[in-house]
Amino acid sequence: MENKETIIEFKNISMQFPGVLANDNVSFDIKKGEVFALVGENGAGKSTLMNILYGINTPTSGEVIIGGKKVEKYSPSEAISRGIGMVHQHFMLVPSFTVAQNICLSHEPRKSKIFYDLKGAEAATEKLVQEYGLVVDPKAKVESISVGLQQRVEILKTLYRGADVLILDEPTAVLTPQETEELFNVIRRIVKEKDMTVIIITHKLYEVMAISDRVGVMRQGKLVGVNETKDVNEKILASMMVGREVLLDEIERFGEPGETKIEVEDLVVTDNRGIIACNGINLKVREGEILGIAAIEGNGQSELLEAITGMRKPVSGTIFLNNHDTTDMDPGQIRELGLSHIPEDRMTTGVSLQSDITTNLVIGKERTPHFSKWGIALKKSTIHRYAEDLFQRFDMRGAGVDTVVGSLSGGNMQKVVVARELSFDAPILIVAQPTRGVDVGAMEFIHKCIVDKRNDGGAVLLVSADLDEVFRLSDRIITIYEGKVTGEFKAGEISKMDISYYMTGDRSNEEGGTN
Amino acid sequence: MKTLQNNKKYIISLIISIAIALLIGAILMAVSGFSPIEGYGAMIDGAIGSPRLLGNTIEKSMELCLLGLATAIGAKGGLFNVGGEGQLFVGALFSTMIGLWLSDLPTFLVIIIAVIVSIVTGGIYALIPALLKTKLNVDEVITTIMLNTVAIKVCTYFVNGPWNSPLKSISQGTDYIDKSIVFSKIIQGSNLSTSFFIGTVVTVFMWFLMKKTTVGLEINVTGENKRFSFFSGLKANKLMVTSMIISGAICGLVGMMLIYGYQGHMTQSASNEYYFDGMLVAMIMNYNPIGIIIMSFFFGFMATGATMMDMQVGISVQLYDVIFSIIIFLMAAQTGIMVWLENRKTQKKAKQLAEEKAKGLVEETAGKEAE
Repeated sequence: MENKETIIEFKNISMQFPGVLANDNVSFDIKKGEVFALVGENGAGKSTLMNILYGINTPTSGEVIIGGKKVEKYSPSEAISRGIGMVHQHFMLVPSFTVAQNICLSHEPRKSKIFYDLKGAEAATEKLVQEYGLVVDPKAKVESISVGLQQRVEILKTLYRGADVLILDEPTAVLTPQETEELFNVIRRIVKEKDMTVIIITHKLYEVMAISDRVGVMRQGKLVGVNETKDVNEKILASMMVGREVLLDEIERFGEPGETKIEVEDLVVTDNRGIIACNGINLKVREGEILGIAAIEGNGQSELLEAITGMRKPVSGTIFLNNHDTTDMDPGQIRELGLSHIPEDRMTTGVSLQSDITTNLVIGKERTPHFSKWGIALKKSTIHRYAEDLFQRFDMRGAGVDTVVGSLSGGNMQKVVVARELSFDAPILIVAQPTRGVDVGAMEFIHKCIVDKRNDGGAVLLVSADLDEVFRLSDRIITIYEGKVTGEFKAGEISKMDISYYMTGDRSNEEGGTN
Repeated sequence: MKTLQNNKKYIISLIISIAIALLIGAILMAVSGFSPIEGYGAMIDGAIGSPRLLGNTIEKSMELCLLGLATAIGAKGGLFNVGGEGQLFVGALFSTMIGLWLSDLPTFLVIIIAVIVSIVTGGIYALIPALLKTKLNVDEVITTIMLNTVAIKVCTYFVNGPWNSPLKSISQGTDYIDKSIVFSKIIQGSNLSTSFFIGTVVTVFMWFLMKKTTVGLEINVTGENKRFSFFSGLKANKLMVTSMIISGAICGLVGMMLIYGYQGHMTQSASNEYYFDGMLVAMIMNYNPIGIIIMSFFFGFMATGATMMDMQVGISVQLYDVIFSIIIFLMAAQTGIMVWLENRKTQKKAKQLAEEKAKGLVEETAGKEAE
């Protein structure tokens, strides 16, 4: 790829947000027909840079040159007309529309210039499907197809608008390993056959190694370096991202687990719409053990955790925590029995965004004699010292403990949650998506916290959409598909590739007899 | 809990807003043919010109302060109580009737019972929208507004119907409560009575509750993120209901204080939308208790002064509403304007820095700065 022509050039790009220099004098170029991976910790400025390319943000200084011509006006429509297409991390699709309607949205084919030409839209979609080999049914409603297919619709949408540069923002975050493999095949094909250029933003370094031709690493708004992928490895990339050596080594397995701390029997739970989400789940977690749940999002694992932690009332079944029947208890009562909970969505559940770090750290303990007189008058200075101490120990970065939590980065916010929940010193820890949207440095730290909890004899139940995380931390793994447990494995018993059969309900290669 | 710097910024923009509002007020006076100096002079004179007027100003400020704190505690708990006016009426009506029915009992006992009854009835009247919100998720803004009308209409019926004074000299409202039962005046001839001490106790209590107690902290967190509160093991619904009951109780008590303080008997015009003025004070001050206490005096001053200004110079008392509205308008826009200015400033600075850096002038120092 040495003599490929340059298609995009970033020249001295700086982007200043209030209080944050998101991009700091970034310059590099992207060649036609390559797969360029952009990696970096959260808040490193990757997404900002891509948003500039896609015209969502106007850079404070510097310029972007697309196809030899400088960008004068930054707007998505301008970017689209120059052949830039972007698939966002959160899909921008209308769930109740069909695939074809979504793809043609805002560029609909018309009959007599007035009427929507649905047949035309379907035909156009079919043509694209044929041309690029991205198989999807044009007439299917988007809400009824899988996340992997929805992503294809997003890609097709950009192709329909004539993109020849495709930006994918964390495309594999929501995919199973199989779907990821399929996506990579698609990328390889469009690059090879259609001479397209793909820019992929990702956290997962092995994916960089698998798919990209070149890789750019960003750290704290700066470009650390651009390398040919074949010249680097995961370790090198990780240390470039974090600025120091990262030890993502195997985690040591620990002795025999003790008595049962969490026991769930025949649990049935409905979701917000009243549809059954957990359909008779049984599981046990013992002291000194991490049980990981591997499941694709939306298969009932969220509702399961909410039921266990008292956030959601189960329809039937029983839950025993620490030898107490907690099926009908509320979160307050359950916490008193010795449970702490790192929730799936920290923004809506895990923190009070407008309160300061101190408040977020002390809540739940404020009535203990240590923090208040007679459970009424707050001991402000004790609370302050306590917050300062946790702030230091958990290596939170921010102006100080008076900082409003809503202004923290994802990683620091998660550290607030982890610090608070672990400080309860409860024997049971329920963890959901502990490192979603969290950078490598913080991830390492949070993983260590969870493992330490296990090593201290805690019973840990872990749910994560990140299979690597489940495999790295768990002593035992169960798979859940459509609200049912479909398999149970000891750590090391099964590969990531094989487990996805159980996660997708495809039991064709099952040897029989799991649950 | 905001940082000190934010507070400072807020106060500065508040002062600027007030200055602009007063300036616009002056322009309005000038345009309608009055001398602004004379107008504002009359206002100041009307607020503190005599002991009597000063007494009225202090009394008005206390009302605004208590009602503002009532709004604040509800808002902190995530419930926007627009129904204080109704709660005030209910408290006023029942405490008046206590004074009339139990007039044979010792004075202090009647006052204590009246205080308790006003608190309880105001609280119960606020409990209705609170329960509707927590149990059935009915928006409290709508229910409280509607319950205002209900309370005022029902009170109007009672004071002009079954409980109307039989005396010919009283055309509207109930009988007067016995002179020996009502609060005695601190300044003769003014509205300021010993109820001021009750008001002070309540104010201090509210400040302590909101800023210094576990319950205050819990109410605050619940108001900001109910799901987080529930998740953290707090009794989120109970806390919300509590904050609303406290809000209603204060409003009821203010109703009692109006009657026993200077009005003497219950009428259909016991309160002339006083609660809404208190609510606006609370909103301007971002529900900060100390801020509400201070700002109440400013508006109490203006309100009393404006009445006198109307009577003496002939400038309409509505000018007070105009100034009030402009301040609210400017304060609402304040956050946006601040962010915009800030953003412009940093963009400019960053641009400069980036350009210099691009020229390779300050490479090293800038590198250090970014760390």
